[in-house]
Amino acid sequence: MNPSPAAEVATAADELTSSSRTWRAFRRNPLGMGSAVLLLALILVALAAPLIAEYPRGYGHEILSPPSAAHWFGTDDVGQDVFAQVVWGTRISMTIGLAAALLAIVIGLLVGVLAAYFRALDTLLGIVIDLFLSLPVLPLMILIAALAGPSVTTLVVVIAIFSWPEVARLVRSAAMAIVPLPYVSAAKVIGGSPWWIMRRHVLPGVAPVVAISVVLTTSRAVLSEAGLSFLGLGDPNTWSWGTILHRAQQSGSLATAWWSTLFPSLAILLLVVATTLVSVAYNDARNPRTR
Amino acid sequence: MIAGLRFIGLRVLRGLLTIWFAVTVTFFLLRLLPGDPVLAVADPTMTEALRQKLLADFGLDQPLSVQYVGYLGQLLQGNMGVSFRQSLPVTEVLMQRLPWTLILTGAAILVTVVLGVPLGVYAATRAKGFADRAIQIGGITAQSLFVPSVGILLLYVFGVVFGWFPIGGAVDPDATGFAATLSMLHHLVLPCLSLVFIQLGSYVLAMRSSLIEVLGEDYVALAKAKGVSPRAVVWKHALRNALLPTTTLVGLQLGTLVGGAVLTETIYAYPGIGRAVYESVGQLDFPVLQGAFVLLAVAVVVANLITDIVYGLLDPRVRTS
Repeated sequence: MNPSPAAEVATAADELTSSSRTWRAFRRNPLGMGSAVLLLALILVALAAPLIAEYPRGYGHEILSPPSAAHWFGTDDVGQDVFAQVVWGTRISMTIGLAAALLAIVIGLLVGVLAAYFRALDTLLGIVIDLFLSLPVLPLMILIAALAGPSVTTLVVVIAIFSWPEVARLVRSAAMAIVPLPYVSAAKVIGGSPWWIMRRHVLPGVAPVVAISVVLTTSRAVLSEAGLSFLGLGDPNTWSWGTILHRAQQSGSLATAWWSTLFPSLAILLLVVATTLVSVAYNDARNPRTR
Repeated sequence: MIAGLRFIGLRVLRGLLTIWFAVTVTFFLLRLLPGDPVLAVADPTMTEALRQKLLADFGLDQPLSVQYVGYLGQLLQGNMGVSFRQSLPVTEVLMQRLPWTLILTGAAILVTVVLGVPLGVYAATRAKGFADRAIQIGGITAQSLFVPSVGILLLYVFGVVFGWFPIGGAVDPDATGFAATLSMLHHLVLPCLSLVFIQLGSYVLAMRSSLIEVLGEDYVALAKAKGVSPRAVVWKHALRNALLPTTTLVGLQLGTLVGGAVLTETIYAYPGIGRAVYESVGQLDFPVLQGAFVLLAVAVVVANLITDIVYGLLDPRVRTS
């Protein structure tokens, strides 16, 4: 089932060297490397949350006390440790972000590749993508999350439903450039099934776009989750960064205790800036002109 | 002329399609998702007979297709149902709120453009320099900001610590005449700045890259060769063309802006649509949530249409392609 063995081998070898070249260029970018390390650290915190801090629950003795040696990030209006909330929040925020992003990428990849491969579908799928992208997404997510009832699953699904069109748009334009290439035509001529051609010849070509999408969609999903939780649509049984801000907003402690909002805010900022910088650095490393 | 009309006609058609899509999606969501509208109005312990009567009153015992057509008809007449909690028509509830959201978002767009264009020009004319790098990093960071974080920070610093600005509401209810206008502007500063912060990055970066591109074109080189001063080359010759993509950005950013407004209004208890959304989430007032989304979707589509048409008027190439 190989259209032209020589060409195939050449692209495979090229792929190998180009990805190792990308990695070498990426390692030389201090901003990108720093951000990647930061992201890894956040993932570690999320995984090791039970080892780092006790799950925040119940009422504490010290109410609204500023940061101290006992409570690094201070305490909130019911005396819970803000540091513990942020640590456990990392876990939920990142889990929801990653799960929603993965779901969105699977849908977006499928739609994007299908639209690029089958021209007949393209107009219809293009219109659907356009429609999704031109609606105010947050109010719609709020409506659905409120109707479905707040839970981790609701958040993941709702965020994914509104994140895939962005992925699909990127994948579609990348795949559009690949489908007309001679090797895809060759694969068609020798009688390859559309599914095989898409998997074997189109998917590898859009992989770099997908890599970027995983990172960017995750950070956008984390922001969406924080927004929904901030409005009171978070899972009431868990802590996320948005939930901490929601509590501070409801109790009014955001006007008196800066520490109750600053630290979750910083966590969100660090995550999103780090993901953006990693993707910028990856793009630069991949592009021979900016390498 | 014909091409122009065709262009506007196509855009209007696309806008109508988007609104139809938004309206249809919300209709089916409300019917298919578990939040039973009847349970939401009344006590869950009500008798089956009462439940049936309520279902009939709301027309919920009809087939889905009949309900759908009826719903579209009602919407066309501006009827979006009755708020569960306030016993007022949703349209009335939202129309009281709409002006505040329009003021807030309008002011945010205006300030963002006024600040963003010069900053972008400044960065582009010093491309690769220190100021340019700083503006680029600042722009990327600004794009990553979480709206409530910015809002809360501004509220705490300028509202609580310094006490320069009010921390909630939209206007002092006792003020009249000119004092009322001043009070309104005073209340607008912090929420508006929060929205400017999250938007500014995109505008500056877009302005920067489009101006750098235009500065590389032949007619700019010609202007320089003719001896036009560098300042005039940038501001008179290049800027006009570089501004065009920024016009589309206004349209592209509207969805984000509306989302940002919902969050910002929540923090500052600003009485716009966004605050109504927040209050309705707590009370599970689905008709208001639905109405707010439909209204915001229409607003975004109309605003997008306007920016598209303006863009078409400014740039003849868009009309014909």
